[in-house]
Formats: sequence, structure tokens, C-alpha cells
Amino acid sequence: MRAEFRKLTTARSTWLLLGIAQLIVVAGVSGLMLRRDDPASDAAQRGAIAHVGLVALFGLLIGILTVAGEYRHRTITDTFLARPRRSSVILSKAVISAAAGVVFGLLASVTALVADAVWLAAKGSSIDLANGVLWKTVAGGIGWNVAFAVIGVGVGALITNLSAAVASALAWIALVEGVVGELVGGGARWLPFALGQALVGLPGAADRPPVWQAGLVLTAYAMIFVLAGNAVTGRRDIT
Amino acid sequence: MPRPGDSLVSGNRDSQRMTDVVLQGLTKKFGAVSAVRNLTCTMTPGVTGFLGPNGAGKTTTLRMLLGLVRPTAGTATVGGRRYADLPQPRRVVGALLDATGFHPGRTARQHLLISAEQSGLPAARVAVALEQVDLTKDADRRVRGYSLGMRQRLGLATALLGDPEVLVLDEPGNGLDPAGLAWLRGLLRDFGADGRTVIVSSHVLAEVQQIADHVVILGEGTLRHDGPLAGLPGLEAEFLRLTGGVA
Repeated sequence: MRAEFRKLTTARSTWLLLGIAQLIVVAGVSGLMLRRDDPASDAAQRGAIAHVGLVALFGLLIGILTVAGEYRHRTITDTFLARPRRSSVILSKAVISAAAGVVFGLLASVTALVADAVWLAAKGSSIDLANGVLWKTVAGGIGWNVAFAVIGVGVGALITNLSAAVASALAWIALVEGVVGELVGGGARWLPFALGQALVGLPGAADRPPVWQAGLVLTAYAMIFVLAGNAVTGRRDIT
Repeated sequence: MPRPGDSLVSGNRDSQRMTDVVLQGLTKKFGAVSAVRNLTCTMTPGVTGFLGPNGAGKTTTLRMLLGLVRPTAGTATVGGRRYADLPQPRRVVGALLDATGFHPGRTARQHLLISAEQSGLPAARVAVALEQVDLTKDADRRVRGYSLGMRQRLGLATALLGDPEVLVLDEPGNGLDPAGLAWLRGLLRDFGADGRTVIVSSHVLAEVQQIADHVVILGEGTLRHDGPLAGLPGLEAEFLRLTGGVA
């Protein structure tokens, strides 16, 4: 576990992703606040803070990197020589990635709240930290980050080619989930990205599942991905 | 002299010492291709040259021994146990497979620290291993800027981290300069003389001739020769005859 932590913190890509995520949050919050003429309303506040959830994309990349990144640099050989019981490696990576998801989510929350407060002040209003909507959105956003980071570990273990894994993950979010959603109709709300949106209570289709159901199903996705990745990893030849 | 790990398999493995590497009916097929066929041999303390032309199955065999590749049939054991069943594999077996297994953005020290941590070895071993391969003064540079020879020495440091009884080295001389080669020769000889089992695959027969006690030769995935080096009058001529090359 300590080794996995050190791997994450000694890779510059981790810090780069963490930095870029903050820029995206600031840009997202600013764009929304510029547009709204009711910036202090619950809907606007939820929309602003919901950008925390979009950082889950970076959590997903971190999860993928912890596994596929090791195949990319061939450090996976050393890892499996040190720990021939590969399940324990995948489990450590899932735990560390989940922790990274918490950190990404927390930092993005602070950034989003600060950006939100600054914009409200600029518009002659002020942030209402007693508003439960803010904190529910923060909690949902962090949960989204954690779930996607763990899913990333599964994706990286299933698709060990780093570029292919990243491309697949991004394609799913940008395109494929939408297409699959068309095919499955009402089932679309149970697809991963839609569930993440449900977690932060983003407005949209009225039939979004309640937060607790979204959280439950997203957790199931994370477990299935990790279990599948683990099964494949156990059988893979490292040549 | 007791060594770390001795107690792990003491006495309960028949006549096998924990330093014995035993391949039994080892076979690997990649799809339709038979990389290794029914390979049986035992490697004991001392230096064993593990030889064969390109594609003879050397690397696949070593990777099966280390639990990285799953045999289609047969077993490979160290001291009677499969690598994956060793309680602390790094204390028993040290391996150098290819010198490219490094994250370019990490320093040598970070690499070794990660390796020690995930192997359950004390962090203090890092400085010892760096000193052993003479990388101490470059230890805090990123591996990106390392020469092939330096990477090779970093790989050796990783193999030496656990002060292992068995060393498995795939082409360890790659990229080493003449001084580096002489140093490596001394290191491997000392290890062999110390009662440890050293398995070295190499294409450089002249190098092997200087250090090996024992020679295993593979050709097309099968065992072609297994015996003391002293029993082979001219290593190169014998190698070419056994592996079907042109003399």
C-alpha cells in the first residue's frame, strides 16, 4: 500500500491532472455564474458546485494510470515479482485510487466553493454555507470521483495498453454512453456517467434515480470492473 | 552461515536445498507456437550459463520460473516451491529481466524504495544496493537521463535488494562497458562461490565461459545440453553444433 502511494505521488502526471482539474472547475463555475442572472438560487448553486463531479474524469484517468501506466513503463514486472499474488496488487491499487478520488473530490470542492463565493461577491450577493444543497452536491461530487477512480483501476487492468484504455474511457464518456443510451432507452439512466450526474443532482431527465440508488449502482459498477480486471490480471502472461 | 529465508523451507523439502532451481516438464505454448517444450533440469549453487539462440525459449523459461508467465504444463520451483508460493520471494530470488522496466520520471532511489516497500524489505536495503552497483552518486537523478549501462546497474540493484539466495539474470551484460563487464563478472563469481545459485542467460559465450560452472543450452524450446562447463571442450563449437547453427 505504501509502495502504491509512493508510485502515485512520484508520478508527475498525478500532480498535472490535479492542477488541470482545478482550472476546469474554476472555468466551469465561472461560465455558469456569468450566464445566470439568479446566481444565488438553489439551481444555480447546485449547477456550480456540480462541477466537482466532472473532476471524476480525472479520477478515472488516475485509476487507469495506476495499472495501465505500470504496463506502459514495464514496471509491472517488478510489481508482480515483489507481489506474485496479483489480487493483492489490484486491491491495493483500488484502495489507493479511491483515496485519490477523495483527494481530487475534496480539492475540487474547495476550489468550486471559493470560485462560487468570489462570483457571488462580485455580483453583490454572498455564499450561503448553511444551504444544504451545497453540501449534498459536494458529497455527491466526491462520491462520483471515488467511484470513477475505482472503475479506472478495473479499466486499466482490462485494457493494459495505456493509450487504448484512456481512449476507450474518454470515448465512452463523450460518445458511446450516449449511443448506448439511445439503444437501451429508459435504461440509459443506469449507465455510469448518468449515475454520476444523478449523484450531484444535476437537472436533466425527470426520471433520474434518487441519489442513494445512483450511489448503490455506481458502487456495483466499480466492484464489477475491479473483479473483472482482477480475474483477467491473474491469468495474464507478463512477457 | 544462516541467511535470510533459510528457516522458510528448512528441512521439510526432502533433499532439495532452498537454492535448488528445478524445472520439471516445463512447457509453454503461445497459441500454436511451442516456446518451451517439456524442459526438465536442475540448477544448483554456482553459476549456470543459460544459453540458446534467439527464440530458443530462454526468456520464457525464466519468466515461468518467476511466476510471470503461466506454464502450459510442468512446474518450475525454487527450493521446492513455486515462486508465487514463496512467503518472501524477493529474499529468495533476485531477478533482472529487462533494463527498461523503469518509470523515466522517477529517480533510482525512488525506484528502489518502491521496490523495497512492495517486497516487504527494509528501506535501509536501498542504500546498500545502490552502493553495490556503484550508483550512489547518481541515485537522485531521474532515470530518463540514464545510459543503458546505468539502467542495467539499476536493474541489478533491484535484483540484489533482498540479498537473495538465487539470482536470475537475463542478459545482464547488455550495455555495460568493459569495466562494468569486469565488475559484473566478479560479482557473479563471488555469488556463485558463496553457495548461491546464479542463472545467467547470455549470447556472449566468451563472457559465460569466464564465469560459468555449469551450462544449460536450449534450442527451439527443448533442452540440448545440461552439464558442467568443463565437459564442453570448445563452448562456441559445441553451442553451434547443439543448436543447429553453422560452425
